[in-house]
Amino acid sequence: MRERGNDGGQQAVVGKSAAVSSGHWRAVLEVRQSISGPQKALIVAVMLAVGLAISAIILILNGVQASSIFDELIVQTFFNRESLASVLVSTTPILLVGLAAAIGFRVRFWNIGIEGQIIFGGVGASLIAFYCPGSGALRLPLMGIAALIGGALWVLPTLFLKLRLRVNEIITTLLLNYVAYNFLMYLVYGPWQDPVDRFPHSAKFEAVARLPGIGFGRVDVGLLIGVAMVVVVWWLMQRSRLGFYMRFVEAKTRMAIVVGVPVISTQIAAVLLSGALSGLAGFAIAAGQEYRLTQSFALDFGFTGVVVAFLARNNPILVAVVSFLMGGLAVAGQAMKVFYQVPVAVVGLIQASIVLSIAASEFFIHHRVRFVRAC
Amino acid sequence: MGTFLINWAAYTPTVAVPLLLATLGLIISERAGVLSLTVEGMMLIGAMVGIAAYLMLGGSPYVSFVVAMLAAAAVSLIFATLVILLRVNQAVAGIAMVFLCQGLTSLLGEKMGWANRSIPGLRKMDLGALSSIPVIGKILFSQDLMVYLAVPLTILVLRLLEHTQVGLKLRAVGENPEAADAAGIHVLRTRFGAVIAGSALMGVAGAYLSVASSKLWIHNLVGGRGWIAVALVIFARWSPWKAAGGALLFGCIEAVIPRLSAMGLQFPQYFVLMTPYLMTIAVMVYAALSQRSRLTAAPAALGEPYVREERR
Repeated sequence: MRERGNDGGQQAVVGKSAAVSSGHWRAVLEVRQSISGPQKALIVAVMLAVGLAISAIILILNGVQASSIFDELIVQTFFNRESLASVLVSTTPILLVGLAAAIGFRVRFWNIGIEGQIIFGGVGASLIAFYCPGSGALRLPLMGIAALIGGALWVLPTLFLKLRLRVNEIITTLLLNYVAYNFLMYLVYGPWQDPVDRFPHSAKFEAVARLPGIGFGRVDVGLLIGVAMVVVVWWLMQRSRLGFYMRFVEAKTRMAIVVGVPVISTQIAAVLLSGALSGLAGFAIAAGQEYRLTQSFALDFGFTGVVVAFLARNNPILVAVVSFLMGGLAVAGQAMKVFYQVPVAVVGLIQASIVLSIAASEFFIHHRVRFVRAC
Repeated sequence: MGTFLINWAAYTPTVAVPLLLATLGLIISERAGVLSLTVEGMMLIGAMVGIAAYLMLGGSPYVSFVVAMLAAAAVSLIFATLVILLRVNQAVAGIAMVFLCQGLTSLLGEKMGWANRSIPGLRKMDLGALSSIPVIGKILFSQDLMVYLAVPLTILVLRLLEHTQVGLKLRAVGENPEAADAAGIHVLRTRFGAVIAGSALMGVAGAYLSVASSKLWIHNLVGGRGWIAVALVIFARWSPWKAAGGALLFGCIEAVIPRLSAMGLQFPQYFVLMTPYLMTIAVMVYAALSQRSRLTAAPAALGEPYVREERR
């Protein structure tokens, strides 16, 4: 996700004049040679504040009282036992899709097709739930495995096209989302329509195919799976050989090829893992929260995953932190819908504002604008 | 069968025009070196603003198109500032902009009650005797004004890019910004202009979807057509003529769906709804296969921020 032209020869970059000149003073743009940790943190914090300010303005324009934003967004959401449980519930799938996006980005693969992979993960899990009645206690693990496979299979065509024909994966993954969504529609309006209430969702899973709770609100074992995945992905990225290769591919793909890193297999492994984790998110939603396939069970998780990975700089530990905050945002969004009639779409808007602000902070990290008197 | 073919051919331009407009807008922006993945978002803005202007400004579809154009151009300023001035990664900014527009349009549209309000919209032209010629009359002479305008517009964009000073500057900036800069072309200003002009066209494309084809607005009306346009540009190798061909091809495919169901044919509708997306992927595979041997047609500096900096 780093800017491309930023490696190497910056010491040599000396242009002639700067972009803007006004009167006696003109703005001069400089490339920063180095930046201290605190300075960097300050820039990010300032830009984050800008993003939050934009979000606050959006909320105020939608009729939320300025004085109650903090209370609504922070206190009511995170410091209330019941609400905290809801936050953890909505954190679960976000955690998994955040990890999925992060792994993809680590090998420079833009997985924007997480939504489709969630759908096929859910479909895989449901296949086992509906058609493997004899499996007993093995049912849930089998469903999880089927979800991993379903998600990985759905990213496979994109991966193949990218590696063999260099077809842009952003477009193919996105288009496949629409295909997956229509397939889900076909299932819930067709063969898998609920025979009990005839609504367009699948039949409810039997009790044996549901993830059990852990005794804190509606939080289920899915959260533990998510946390376990954070540890697994952290180990993979930081401690394993694959992770070393991945960092190499991310930093300098061309050099990785030259020094003999198996770039292609690294990418294949990472991208399949990314799809599999998205599929697992589908399992966590279907088996842990909805207990069935619904029309919208994957909706908007794709973008959220990308947002989380971007804000967390593809670091699995930070992914966990950011997911928790995004879970809070989702719960707060629900609450604001109820109390202020703010449409849920506002959540996406806030996410996008924060992402764009943080993205812009890169510029101020790499450049310094100075005002000098023109001679 | 005859009526089927006529109806099909007569409906095709309605589907092709928004794709063509969006693709032309994208070509303008990409030839200047800016990868505007925002196109889906700009179309969403255009679609909603088009309906809003229609409902609030006295119901003229042409006013709607102009307002939608201005609105998309205005929103694109955010994107342009981020990627051209602040050098944010164009893919990150583009994708985030799409979701920003998704949130913004469904928020505003829902709040203001613009959803699901059916309007008369843009009417088909009645060219008198010409329109009543059998077969041809229905296919060629009973379209709306935008369909007829699309042809000269394509020529205009082509002329602009290939045969004018402005077009030359624009392409220079997209191929080799350093050289363009050295030749005295204002790289940032040219790119800003290209993004704004391109986004304006994308806005019209969106407004056409809501004001002319569906004649109502719902959340996420664009439904991925922006992404199809992104793929079409690659298929068209950044050429306006080929873009028109690609848009027509897709128009044919999408237009056949409602015609088949009108004939009472039994087929699994959700699989049919997948076809435009699958076709787009097929087209990208075709483009990749056919471009393998030759040099790529993509502007050389596509997606690269231009950095001219000073150090002291």
